[in-house]
Amino acid sequence: MKCDEDWVIKAENVSYTYDGNNQKALNGLNLKIRRGAKVAFMGGNGSGKSTFFLCLNGIRRPDEGTIYIDGKPVEYTRKGLLDVRSKVGIVFQEPDDQLFSASVYEEISFGILNLGADEDTARREVERVIEELEITPFQDRPAHALSGGQKKQVAIADILVMHPEVMILDEPAAALDPKHTRKVQEIVDRLSEKGITVLMATHDIDYAYAWADEIVLMHEGKVIRQGTPAQVCTDRQALEEASLELPVVVKIYERLREKALIPEDTPLPGNVEELIEEL
Amino acid sequence: MLLIDKLSYQSKLRYVNASEKLVYALLTLVLCVLSRSVKVAVLVFAVNGVLTVGKGGIPLFRYIKLFMIPLAFLAAGTAAVMINVSRTPMDAFALPAGEWYITGSNEGIRRGLRLCVTALSAVSSLYFLSLNTVMTDILCSCRKLHFPPLLTELMLLIYRFIFVLFETASSITVSQQSRLGNRGFKTRIRSFGKLGSSLFILALKRSSTLYDAMESRCYDGSIRVLSREQPAKAGEIAVIALYGAVLVLVWLLCG
Repeated sequence: MKCDEDWVIKAENVSYTYDGNNQKALNGLNLKIRRGAKVAFMGGNGSGKSTFFLCLNGIRRPDEGTIYIDGKPVEYTRKGLLDVRSKVGIVFQEPDDQLFSASVYEEISFGILNLGADEDTARREVERVIEELEITPFQDRPAHALSGGQKKQVAIADILVMHPEVMILDEPAAALDPKHTRKVQEIVDRLSEKGITVLMATHDIDYAYAWADEIVLMHEGKVIRQGTPAQVCTDRQALEEASLELPVVVKIYERLREKALIPEDTPLPGNVEELIEEL
Repeated sequence: MLLIDKLSYQSKLRYVNASEKLVYALLTLVLCVLSRSVKVAVLVFAVNGVLTVGKGGIPLFRYIKLFMIPLAFLAAGTAAVMINVSRTPMDAFALPAGEWYITGSNEGIRRGLRLCVTALSAVSSLYFLSLNTVMTDILCSCRKLHFPPLLTELMLLIYRFIFVLFETASSITVSQQSRLGNRGFKTRIRSFGKLGSSLFILALKRSSTLYDAMESRCYDGSIRVLSREQPAKAGEIAVIALYGAVLVLVWLLCG
């Protein structure tokens, strides 16, 4: 299988500084992401996650370095940007920054019309996404009467309707109650099943550990560690640098092994259920 | 305003084709104003009331309360038409005040009353539209009627962000109050000023992130959206046309 070389995103030495800031928001960032992967981006506030996401979408243009989408360097022309933005979609952290129309239907139709779809196709797609993401019960309500979770669903629909290859979710569970967090997580799982590459910024290491194929640790505009959850979450030094704790599962697993309550050769469990199974 | 918005989403006439309602409201409005006929005005007022409260299901006390707003302005306006200050008394009434009279003519009172009735029924037409039609539907009709895109796009964004800004403002107010920001007159004034300036900054920030978010969805300078429309019904159009004709007849024959 050629799968190992199918990088949907490649960033080489990317640097970016915001106007008027001395500090670089991105500082020589290198990264490769496999097509179809579930990647969790972790790191403190100001570590450059959001800036990097905006670069992937061509909203910010790196001062140095190159970003490749689908193997092609991003071209900062009208056509080039349209191409990149049709492939990479961002669900912003704050839905109120993203939803510009009070009508859910209008809101969702915006992206696909911008891609040049004709009216019939657009209508079909909008209605399909509304159905798929279970927006139907509140589709006739104005945006200002929706709950945070419902707004988030609409924000995801905004992007999903454009059929992106890569979907970026910037802290999708921020400020959501447990019920809606689960709902968003279910939606994210469905995205992966469709073969969409999902990049998610999150502060929830337990969730990242159980969900992701790969975890990317960022600190001061750089990737300090990238690897499978098992690799990253046992690298105490990297976690400490990113001010992150060990996932609870890993903590308990290590302690159990230390106390010889489970055999020495027990593999690292991938999530809580696997750990319970072990016991 | 927020109340009207809420009510419009609950109206039972919400899902009637918006262009029909728009045309109905404008037609009755124009006929009221053009005819200046009390009979037309009373008819329009009554029918609008029946439609909005009876058919639309807007609570009567809300409807009446909403009329108190224009009524206050109207009272001030018509008073100026009906009451004069003059040295000679007029035929309707005259209250002596020294050498002068506070007085009014029958003609003036008639004119004032007519003005009052016409204005109220014109307002009732606008209330019919705004209480039974949600803003996004009105916008959609405007687009179909080829309003300038700049205008409709602005309306779209403004309507959305009035609520965002309002929410932000009220949470800032709450946080100010929780820190005794409205303790005395002076602090209240200062808090209000601070609220204004921070809202302005937040709005600027918001607009730039919104622009990013729109760009990331391939925004190219014009906002194109699709709306779901309720089809216009031939029967309803016929009734509106008939009603218009009746109003014109009333105007010409009895006005």
